[in-house]
Amino acid sequence: MISRGLPAPVLVGGAAVEIYSKGSINTGDFDIVTAWQAEFEEELQGLGFVRPAGPGRATRGWIHPELRLGFEVVADSLLDGAADRHRVQLIDLGEDGTAAVISLEDMIADRMGQYASGTAPEMLEQARRLFALHTDADRDYMEKRIRHESAGDYGVEDVES
Amino acid sequence: MVSKTSRAEPKPIPLAEFAADLERRLAEYEARYGHPFEIPRNSGNRRTPSKRALLKAIEEAGGKW
Repeated sequence: MISRGLPAPVLVGGAAVEIYSKGSINTGDFDIVTAWQAEFEEELQGLGFVRPAGPGRATRGWIHPELRLGFEVVADSLLDGAADRHRVQLIDLGEDGTAAVISLEDMIADRMGQYASGTAPEMLEQARRLFALHTDADRDYMEKRIRHESAGDYGVEDVES
Repeated sequence: MVSKTSRAEPKPIPLAEFAADLERRLAEYEARYGHPFEIPRNSGNRRTPSKRALLKAIEEAGGKW
């Protein structure tokens, strides 16, 4: 994507948690945010990814049959545009290019938003553990983002262990 | 191609440096709390039909995650 002059697609979700916790969660599916879905999926196809087909396989995602990994574009903007793209963590993979991962602060805020929805109680502990591992996170930004994602119900103090 | 972002992205951190930083954090966490870092997995309650189908396809390809 970068060689096309496009920003790197951004990894979000559980795979991003894995990145920030050094594999404490293992996942084989990768949620991606990019405004250039068609171009990204062209690149996936070029790397051998295919879209599963058949009954019960209606998915927007792509899998690599040999690597046994899946990618899915879940949005065209980071957290509906509320996350600061400038804070995306870029990781230089050498000859393999550059990986872009949602910022730690935005990921914690996303966890708290899911927790606040009442459908994902485990997300509170995910957020707390991630903050405990990254105590130097930008508290001011995280406070703003958690408040936004949780409709004002939660803030930084709620993720402090 | 026309950019859909208005600001330059930050400079990438080398993978080795990123990994070393995480190793340090994990060691500090274990020293602070007295046990290795762990984090609860997603319950999967919020998976979309598309995500469930994707995970099924990965599993059928032999992926166990």
